[in-house]
Parts: sequence; structure tokens; C-alpha cells
Amino acid sequence: MSMNKPMPAPTEISAPFWNALKEGVLRIPHCTACGHWIFYPRRHCDRCFSHAVEWREVSGEGQLYSYTVARIPTLPDFADEMPQKLAVVELDEGVRINTTLVGVDEAEIRVGMRVKAVFDKVRADGATLLRFTGAEKDFPARLDSTPEALAAATDAKVTAEIAATSVRQVRFDDEAAMKSLVSDVFTPWSSKVVVDQALIDEFARLSGDDYWIHTDPERAAKQSPFGGTIAHGALVQILQSRLKMPLGFEVTGFNNMVNYGSDRLRFPAPVPAGSRIHARARVKSVEKLAKGMQLTLEVTTHVVGNDRPSVINDLVILYM
Amino acid sequence: MGLKGQAAIVGAAQYRPEKYATAPRMFHLEQVADLAARALQDAGLQASDLDGLVINGPQFHEASVFVPAMAAEYLGMRLNFAEVVDLGGTTSVGMVWRAAAAIELGLCQAVLCVLPARMAPLGPDEDPAWMARAMRFGGHSTAFGAPEAEFDLPYGHMGQNTGYAMIAQRYAARYGYDPAAMAKIAVDQRTNALTNPEAMFFGKPLSAEEVLASKMVADPLHVLEIVMPVAGGAAVIVASKEVAARARNRPAFVTGFGEHLAFKSPSYAAEMTETPIGPASRRAFEMAGLKPGDVDAAQIYDCYTITVLLTLEDAGFCEKGEGMRFVREHDLTWRGNFPMNTHGGQLSFGQAGSAGGMSQVIEAFTQLAGRAGDRQLKRCDRVYVSGTGGVMSEQGALILQGA
Repeated sequence: MSMNKPMPAPTEISAPFWNALKEGVLRIPHCTACGHWIFYPRRHCDRCFSHAVEWREVSGEGQLYSYTVARIPTLPDFADEMPQKLAVVELDEGVRINTTLVGVDEAEIRVGMRVKAVFDKVRADGATLLRFTGAEKDFPARLDSTPEALAAATDAKVTAEIAATSVRQVRFDDEAAMKSLVSDVFTPWSSKVVVDQALIDEFARLSGDDYWIHTDPERAAKQSPFGGTIAHGALVQILQSRLKMPLGFEVTGFNNMVNYGSDRLRFPAPVPAGSRIHARARVKSVEKLAKGMQLTLEVTTHVVGNDRPSVINDLVILYM
Repeated sequence: MGLKGQAAIVGAAQYRPEKYATAPRMFHLEQVADLAARALQDAGLQASDLDGLVINGPQFHEASVFVPAMAAEYLGMRLNFAEVVDLGGTTSVGMVWRAAAAIELGLCQAVLCVLPARMAPLGPDEDPAWMARAMRFGGHSTAFGAPEAEFDLPYGHMGQNTGYAMIAQRYAARYGYDPAAMAKIAVDQRTNALTNPEAMFFGKPLSAEEVLASKMVADPLHVLEIVMPVAGGAAVIVASKEVAARARNRPAFVTGFGEHLAFKSPSYAAEMTETPIGPASRRAFEMAGLKPGDVDAAQIYDCYTITVLLTLEDAGFCEKGEGMRFVREHDLTWRGNFPMNTHGGQLSFGQAGSAGGMSQVIEAFTQLAGRAGDRQLKRCDRVYVSGTGGVMSEQGALILQGA
């Protein structure tokens, strides 16, 4: 997930709630004067105004009060959660919590369904959000949704997929076979890479492009229209080399392969720092030239969940 | 208790809704001065008649504090009553009753209620991305310690669409849901807009099929059930009976009002499908000595079709859970048996920021004054107006009556 997603900033009042979530425990304030349960955390009871409030552990079970499935991200940074299953859960203690549902299909969601808590670690420092799933679901009570964990999980999956895919071998000088690779259909998605601030800073140093929108998270949080820093387009472009892509073919028999540059290079959408990216490709054209066979591979790199590519690159490769 | 009906809307001015990209940029102070001059001209009154000002505090471009004093100085007004209103979409309704109450208390005789909603020119250090930055979290506070910043935004609970959608989903679970009836609200209002050259969607007919085929934004709300934000701005002048007597138009007396709010996120409502417009409207009708069936038109705040549906029910125009049937069985157009949002509503007129709600107030005044042109109601003496802010979290109602 993008680092520019809004994150909770615990206060002195709320810290016990957030700290408990890190331990996989749900703790909410309870009024000892009138018995009222309180959410979100406050130091007073929002029924009787008493300050005789203490923290108590609760089961995390409740029912779905209402929900919606958002088809357009409520903020661009939530593109990797599409469609967003936004929910209001009413705990059995009576308090309501704004949250999201995980591990349930859209078609299963019903107002009134029983739900249980899921503790979702979203940042390497342990920051944990409270999500919910169906009470009957065989779904882990604790998740690790840090960008690193998500990228590693899909990396292993794509590696296995690529290993299992039969790769068609095509001789570079077999014009008909090469032309048969041309397709309107993109390959499946590649593995994923996290574009974090450290990577962006390293690229800024190498390239000399240290414009604040890339390198100054504090200023970018205040002034960038994206709520934080974004990666250089050129960085995202070259990260294509890091992505394992299930192309499904391998060109053979050539003496030399030349990266001839790009016919078209566009950066239509930003990549906020902390985003996961992945790519897919298709052979756009194959042309027999006097010096060899020229293949144009259209590679598009996207932030995970975003339909709009962050990089469109028509890569020209000459086989000789 | 309440108003005696001694204050009236006597003049109005409203910018034609325009897309932000093509609308003129004006400082808010300049818009206030311009709208004031136009509203005075409409009323047939002099600048010297004005001695009260109600203005928006939040989203005022040139200042965040001391707004009324700055505006009074800029315009050249001497004020006996000054007020800012911070009630989102029900700011307009809230302005009108506050002005009427101040007049009935004898504080002042003529109050300018004004909401500039065109964008201001960019400053030397500002760039066009300023708008995008300012709008990233919409009406949500990201301040340290703001409950929504801590407990809503990290989950993606933000903006208005999903909150309204969740209310609609819960309504559907409790009472059932008829997408075609919801579409009819938008369609009947569009029919009204086809008679209003000032409306954003004038000349663009709309069918229920188009509404239902439009993109689903957040289940069950389609994009054509959601208002389009536009640039604009509006003002009305509320005046005492004495001043109203020498004004040009038939006055619209403020005979009842109500206001109710208890939360910002509807998740914390006692029951999210029973909205604050209920208590607000009951108070307004009671104050005016009228029942919902007594009004000739309803100008209902319509940021979404679901807002209209719940307002019809909770304000008492039909029983709870009967709203869909009511919509199916009534013609909501200006020529129909339940004239509603006769200017097109904000869905078809356009929503000029917090001035959007003023379009409903001004349409009520225009109909009462008999100046609505092609869409003029044959008989119009009593009009109900509602305002809705946040996610049906702060709501207000007005009863306006012709003399």
C-alpha cells in the first residue's frame, strides 16, 4: 500500500486502543458510572459525561450495521484495495466502528451479518488497523499487509507461475513465427516491487534529480497534490528490469540483441512513495529490417490496483 | 415559540452555475460585493438599507477569522448584526432563519446572507495544484486529534459518496429499495431543469434508463444520482416587514424553521436511516402552524437522490418506508401533483459549493414571488425548504410564505 495513505496518529487519549491492536487485542473505553461503552476513545462518557472511564478488552464480535462497495477509490491511494468494502460494524457492546471488510466476497455481504475482528499490520513499525471478516470465515485473525510482505507474497506466487508456464521458443529469423507473437492481449501481471523512499532517494542521488516532490516527504505532505512524495517517472520505467514477467515466449538463435530505445514513453499516473508496482506486456509489432528482426514490446507499469498506467513504454529490441 | 413571520426574503442574486475550469475567478470579497449589489437591485433597495450580514466563515478565501468585519469594511457596510454560519449544505437555510430571528429581535432591518463560491485568483506563490491539495481530504479534518483523521481516513472512509451509500444500503435492508424510483427523482428534477435556462443541465433531457446505466460509484449510488460540484455563488436579502413593504417583489416571509445535528459521521447516529431533518422539519411546521400537506412546493436539498428520499419521509410528506412508493405515485415536476425542486434541484442545476443550498431557498422565493417563468406554479403561497450538511448529519428546514 502507498505510504501516502492516511495513517492514524495516536494521541495520549487513544494510544491504549492502538497499542492493543498491535497485540491482536481489542480494547475500548467503558464508563464505570453508567455502564456505557465508548467508541472512538474519549476520556469522558458520551452518554453521561462522567470521566470515570476505564479500558476493557472486548471480543471483537458484532454485526454489520451497514456497508458500501466503493467502485471508485475514495482517495487514489486506495486503488490497491479496489473495490473498497467500506463498513460500519456494531460491536456486541453497542458501539459502532468505521472499518473495512476483508476475506468476504461482495455477494456475501449482508446488513446484519455476524462479523469478527481482524488485526491488520499495515506498517513495518507495527501500526495495525482494525478490520472485520465474516464470523464463520476461516480467515486469519492477524494479517500482515505491509508493502514488503505483500510484495514478497506475490513475488513467490509469480515465480511459481512463471516456472509452471510453458515457454514457447521462437527463432529470431523465423519471420512468420515472430509475427505470430504480436497480440492485443497483455501478459498476466508480473511480480511486484515496492517503490519506497529509500529507493527514490538513491535514484535522486544517481540522477541528480532531487526535486522536492520526490525527495522531501515533509514538504510533499503539505504541498504535493498527491499527499506525499512520488517516484521519478524514469525510476519507475527502469524498475521494469526488476519485475519478473510471464512473457510466455523466448527469442532464440540470434548473435546479438540490442536495446534500441523506446518508440513511446509516457508517465500518465504518479507512483506515490511506498506504492507497489507491477507490469504487463504485449508484443506490439515485429518488423523484418535489413539489419535484423525488430520487435516492439509495449510494457505498462501500474501501481497495484490502478487501471491507469504509471509508465507506458514501447520498448524496441533488435535481434541480429 | 419561534418566529412570528415578521421577516421576509425580499431579493436574491445567484451566479449561473459553471464548470470550475471556465468560471471567472474572483476574490470572495469581490463576489460578496457583486452579489450584494445584484440582490439589492433585485429587491429594489438601497445599500444604506442593509445593516446585517450573515456570511460563510469556513472556505472564505481571504480570511479564516474576522470574516464579517473584513467584509463589512470592504463593502462599506455598517452592521448591527454579524454572523458566520458553519453548517455545510444547510448553511443557506441556517443563514435565513438567523437573519429573520435577528430582525424579529429588533437588532437590524435588512440582512445580506451571502455565499461566494467561485474560485479566487491564484496568488504569486500558488499553483494550479493548490485546488487538488486543498480538496484531497474534502471536508475532512486531518488535524492531530481530529477523530475522523484517526478513525475514518485510514480505512478510506472519506468524502461524501460512501457515507450516503451506506445510509442507502441500510435503508434498503430495512425497507427495501427500488432503483427505478430513485432514478425517477433525478429524472423529474431534470424535467424541471429543462424549463430553467440558468440550470447546468438545461437543454439536456435525462431518462431513468440513463441514470440506471450510469457508472456505479458506491453501491447503490450511480453517478447520475450525485450532484456535480460547480462554481457559483448566491445571496439573499432578508428584511423586516416594513422594509419588505417598499421592496419590489412579493416577499417570502419566514414563518417557521428548525435545525438539528448530533454527529458528523452518520455511523454514530442513533439510527442512520432516521435523519436530523425529522426533528428540524417538525419544529418548522409547528412554528408555522402548518402540516406537510399544506405546502404548495418542496425545495429539498438534493446532494444525492437518497437525501431526497429520506427527507420526504422524515419531514412527514409520507410515512417511513413509503418514500419509494410516494415517488412512484407522484409527479415531482413543476406541473405535477407534488412540485419539488422546481429549478431542477442541485442534481440538475449544479451544486455551487456551500451556495448550492441557496439555490433551493432562491427557487422558493422565486416561485412565491411569481417570477419563475415557464416553470411557475399556478398557485404558490407556502413552500418547504430543506438544507443538508455533511452526510445527513446537520440539517435544517424553513417554511416560507407569501403575504
